[in-house]
Amino acid sequence: MWIGFLLERALSLPRSEESDMSKLRRSGAAGLLDMVADKASQLPQPERRDFLKRGLALAGTAAAGPAIAAGESGAEYLPPNVPPWTRSLGRGVVTRPYGSPSDFEANVIRRTVPWLTASNISSISFTPLPELKGIITPNGLVFERYHAGVPEISPDQHRLMIHGLVERPIVLTMDDLMRFPSASVIRFIECPANGGMEWRGAQMEALQFTHGMLSCCEWTGVPLSVLLEEVGLKKGAAWVLAEGADGAAMTRSIPLEKALDDTLVVYAQNGEMLRPEQGYPLRLLNPGWEGNTSVKWLRRLEVGDEPWYQREETSKYTDLMEDGRARKFTFVQETNSVITFPCPEKPLVAKGRYEVEGLAWSGRGRIRRVDVSFDGGVNWQQARLKGLVLPKALTRFSFMWDWDGGPVLLQSRAVDETGYVQPTLTQLRDQRGVESIYHKNAIHTWRVAESGEVTNVQID
Amino acid sequence: MSRSTKGFVALATLVVAIAWLSPSPSVDIAAADANSVLKGPTIGPDVEAVEISLAFRPQPDAKRVGYFGFGESATEDMIAGWDIDVRPDGKGLPPGSGSVEDGEVIYEEQCAACHGFFGEGEGRWPKLAGGEGTLTEDRPEKTVGSYWPYASTLWDYVHRAMPFYEPQSLGDDEVYAVSAYVLYLNDIVADDFVLSHENLASIQMPNRDGFFVDPRPDVKNTACMQDCKDPASIKITWDSTELGVTPIDHFRAEDTEAAATAAQETDPNLGLTVYQQACSTCHKGGLAGAPVVGEAGAWSERLEQGMDVLVDHAINGYQGSAGYMPPKGGQIQLSNQEVRAAVDYMVKNSLEK
Repeated sequence: MWIGFLLERALSLPRSEESDMSKLRRSGAAGLLDMVADKASQLPQPERRDFLKRGLALAGTAAAGPAIAAGESGAEYLPPNVPPWTRSLGRGVVTRPYGSPSDFEANVIRRTVPWLTASNISSISFTPLPELKGIITPNGLVFERYHAGVPEISPDQHRLMIHGLVERPIVLTMDDLMRFPSASVIRFIECPANGGMEWRGAQMEALQFTHGMLSCCEWTGVPLSVLLEEVGLKKGAAWVLAEGADGAAMTRSIPLEKALDDTLVVYAQNGEMLRPEQGYPLRLLNPGWEGNTSVKWLRRLEVGDEPWYQREETSKYTDLMEDGRARKFTFVQETNSVITFPCPEKPLVAKGRYEVEGLAWSGRGRIRRVDVSFDGGVNWQQARLKGLVLPKALTRFSFMWDWDGGPVLLQSRAVDETGYVQPTLTQLRDQRGVESIYHKNAIHTWRVAESGEVTNVQID
Repeated sequence: MSRSTKGFVALATLVVAIAWLSPSPSVDIAAADANSVLKGPTIGPDVEAVEISLAFRPQPDAKRVGYFGFGESATEDMIAGWDIDVRPDGKGLPPGSGSVEDGEVIYEEQCAACHGFFGEGEGRWPKLAGGEGTLTEDRPEKTVGSYWPYASTLWDYVHRAMPFYEPQSLGDDEVYAVSAYVLYLNDIVADDFVLSHENLASIQMPNRDGFFVDPRPDVKNTACMQDCKDPASIKITWDSTELGVTPIDHFRAEDTEAAATAAQETDPNLGLTVYQQACSTCHKGGLAGAPVVGEAGAWSERLEQGMDVLVDHAINGYQGSAGYMPPKGGQIQLSNQEVRAAVDYMVKNSLEK
């Protein structure tokens, strides 16, 4: 498949003699600014602006030593001088009626790896995990996955039909739905293919791409149990088919047990209505389960006595084992974790004290604890859980660390409240082989070089 | 939400607020031993209470059917229009039929551009046929014939989501015909076969017994803390930087143009690769007025402006009389060199044919 193709293609690429990163390390931040300015001058106008922005963002985060402000004129803005923004007026209210991030954060965006899919209409983008704080993913940064592009649906024209083995088949408008009692929960959504490019070996060079099919939001909507109670379940009801209104009319069969437990019919995300790419105006949320089951642009729920064996639960989202047989209905996203600082995008800049941070999550409940290792898993130390520790939600951990400048193999290992311990990649491969694509929740390894550069590696 | 539940939420929120306001454990980082575990907020009954109240969900109560009474009844007509799912036992199939012979015509017109004339799959579009016996091999090919357990899934999916550019545009008989043809491409039916609502459920797919229900948790790691393995035994088996296949320009300021040029020099397939992932959606079938690859006239006309103009339009976007070319085909992460390589590929494959 593509992995092999890419390996062949990639192995023929030459490596540059000296990276700009190492040039930068020799010359410091001033060198980087010169380099950015120099490179920008060779670009056409629109690209130049973007390049400068990105280059300056890099100077702001990566540069050590004597600080230089990210502005055209450098040190004249720094103390004891008073910068111009202190001596002038800024924008007035509602200049930007719907606020957007600072222009200096232009680097914090979703990205894709184009060769993963045949077309960007049916593709995936990744959340910039290195840049996120806390446990909530801002709406504009939630990873995207769809199979037929983002439909533009007017809420007035949208309906949810509930039928099948029910007493009262109904059609609900968005207004109807919002009259039902609502619930708000903070839960992660993770594509089960997150990390799936690395079953055979490490090939993603950035945290955004190794783990970025992952987001965590506060979701608001109607518990599906409330809606099923409203329509009344008939004898024999055992499964619910959820279907989207987009051009893929995406479908998944959900066991009734889950539907009556914590499935939510969601219309809002982090306090505002869903974003179009997250299913506006209505989506399903199956907390802790593979993201694909949380069907977006939800238009129909059918209750039945058997699963439907749709394309997304046979051809896709089944896990092929070494013996040629495949697992079906692999719903739960098992306990996982990754260190988000340092990471390839956020290297270390000098010896000294650092707060190592990361994210842990489990589709079965709360994270009970996270351990970190600096020697490739020989010895482990317990990290601190920060902020809210919620079931089926991202949980942030941290560990204060003195880096002595030596090479390090950095790992994290999460344990959830069921006692499940995040496995090693070797354990997963021994059990499942390397062709299952989905559900790779292995302990991840970052190699920290003496230069402070961080790379994605796999170890035995 | 009931009055009592509301009260519960308010109380729980208050309790948590108090918990947060109470003197926090020491977070004096400078004074703390760098390797000791700093104490912070931990989970406890307070957080638990909030979680329970937030996850408000009554148990279904048969006596409360229609309790809210919102919405309108779904009539049989309304349901018939939307209820398109088909199960392995054939439930949901509409009456109709289609032959392999008819399917071939529709397939070549509607499906072959992406899936290949023999179901071999173009570029990264899904392969539909072949792959028998490969599921245990190093590079398994999961096709309709080698992997899909039920023929109903094929009918259902073609009907709901295909053709990719125009989903739900085929009539029921056409879906039967295309499904019959895909089954034929996989040697599951003969060339004179006619697929219908009466025989679809009885088709035995080769891999019908190839699936079993998720047995996880299937691996058991232990939370060993000290001397868990021999440090000398650790070896790095994979290093992602040796491959260089990830977009990293946004954090590693490499000379992207030079790298792309080098990549093109060492990779003669770069143009094809970029074309398949960024351009073929429109330039294969002529969507949005795009010149179709292989149609020499459409390209030579545009080439009169010169190759540089063509590349410039591809990179920066262009509104022409025939249609709109978005900058870099909407994939702005592509380098200019990659776009140029794709244009080269398209021109070459149009004029030389």
